[in-house]
Amino acid sequence: MTIRRTWWAWGFLALPILTYGITVVWPALYSFYHGFTDWKAVGGGDWTGTANFARMAQDPSFARALRNTLIWTVAGVVVPTVAGLALALGLNRITRFAKVIKSFFFLPLALSLVVVGQVWFWIYRPEDGLLNIVLGALGLDSWRHAWLSDPATALWAVMAAWGWQQVALAMVIFLAGLTTVPRELTEAAQVDGAGAWQRLRAVVLPALRPSFVVVISLNMINALKSFDIVYVMTGGGPFRQTETLAVLAYRVAFKTYDFGYGSAVSAVLFVVSAVIIGLFFAWNSWKDRHA
Amino acid sequence: MPDTAVAERAVLPPQAPAPPASRPRRASRAPLAAALAAFAVLFLVPCLGVLYTSLKTDAEIAANGLWAPSGDLTLDNYLQALTAGGTGRYLLNSLLVTIPATAISVALGTLAGYAIAVLRPRAGEFIGFCLLAGLFVPPQILLIPLFAGFNAAGLYDTLFPMIIVHSGYGISLCTLVMRNFFRGLPMELRAAGLVDGAGEPRILASIVLPMSRPALAALATLQFTFIWNDFLYPLVFTRSDTMRTVMVGILQQQGQYSIAYGVQAAMAVLASLPTVAIFIAFQKHFIAGLTAGAVKG
Repeated sequence: MTIRRTWWAWGFLALPILTYGITVVWPALYSFYHGFTDWKAVGGGDWTGTANFARMAQDPSFARALRNTLIWTVAGVVVPTVAGLALALGLNRITRFAKVIKSFFFLPLALSLVVVGQVWFWIYRPEDGLLNIVLGALGLDSWRHAWLSDPATALWAVMAAWGWQQVALAMVIFLAGLTTVPRELTEAAQVDGAGAWQRLRAVVLPALRPSFVVVISLNMINALKSFDIVYVMTGGGPFRQTETLAVLAYRVAFKTYDFGYGSAVSAVLFVVSAVIIGLFFAWNSWKDRHA
Repeated sequence: MPDTAVAERAVLPPQAPAPPASRPRRASRAPLAAALAAFAVLFLVPCLGVLYTSLKTDAEIAANGLWAPSGDLTLDNYLQALTAGGTGRYLLNSLLVTIPATAISVALGTLAGYAIAVLRPRAGEFIGFCLLAGLFVPPQILLIPLFAGFNAAGLYDTLFPMIIVHSGYGISLCTLVMRNFFRGLPMELRAAGLVDGAGEPRILASIVLPMSRPALAALATLQFTFIWNDFLYPLVFTRSDTMRTVMVGILQQQGQYSIAYGVQAAMAVLASLPTVAIFIAFQKHFIAGLTAGAVKG
């Protein structure tokens, strides 16, 4: 019986493993290898050792892309997590129209980042964009701005558009988490005279810990990968100021056909992602043990 | 029942005497609901803006700006998007990619999740870990080798690369969701099937899968949305206009219709219709999929 079961297990696993191996494992390993070559799209590449990585260390585009990716990851975790938690806590307290209101917040999740980017591009238009119209109407004419063409604001403007879509993801997970907060605990705390803020800190937030882990890791992954929205809204500009590592890897590989250097950049993106996510999970399991 | 308590409180006239403990709570709910409702409407302004722009004439937009109200609404933009703009073709291509890729990735994830959670072979947990690790792999690292591979296989600039890559890249999420689902499933029925002498494929097909409909629906909804909305793979693996899926297609057409904002908006609305329709029809499944995918294993 056990032998037959094992036999079937591997039978079931064969096709998924094969497909996954061809589309994910092999390409990832191949990219790592070609990060050490000077492959230029045509023909093979020659082994050049660490030349690509030495070039990266000198490359201002790379430094900027790395910096933007890190900024994006920090802000892209903090802002949607805090905003999503606030929305979930608010929505959890109301009963009337809660379902309709929730679905309004969810809706952007069904949209493509291409569409999100297009709309927000229109919101940021300098002359007749919605944001500047609203600022003008509020008497804040001095705040009117060419949001996407000023290097000082472009990255933040793109991130805001991304956050608009992303916040509902955190909200959904926190809402699901809030259903697990034991009602007796919050009520007992209230009877003991704990205010709303104390109840939140002492009862609700600790109970939401698993949700926090999921929200933070999901936002981290999505932030590290961010490509579509940048590509659509700014193409990495102005003056490559909004390029992330994902955008840089694409540009190097498919605009200049420098496959070797592109592979090296994407390998660095992979390693940076793995380190950040690995550190987060390690910290999390350390916290679990010392809770 | 807490819900009826709240409902009762809500229908009481404000002057009615209420127990002191619930008075501050009752007072605080209506403004909160109103504030959240107002914010939710504000939150949808970008969506409503596109929808509204898609109904305006170009002359109106040119005269009054993109966000100005218009008295003159038309459906011409949609007609133009579908005919001259080629959006019909892009939509068809997206369907031809999304439906098979969704089906294959969910099927492969079901097989792997069932094997890992129920049949539990030796090293199954390790295989599961490797399959799930794909969730953390940025797709950029896969592009160059896959591009070269599809080129060599003669598949570049067809729809096959997107079907193949999404089928494989989606295995991570599908395995995670199905494994977690199968772990929670009571397996007495499986044992009964074994006693009856049914083989594993028959047990999976006729006992386990019928019980798995909610999970399959949630996962399929999620995968459909991801694959439909994908932009990166068709950008890299296709070149000719007839092979573009809808997200890359409409972005390319923006160059063509650079000042025809109405047509651009109509294209964006058309491109979003399938996922928004699925979202509205299957909202419960959609959210179940998001939270199920989010539950760390």
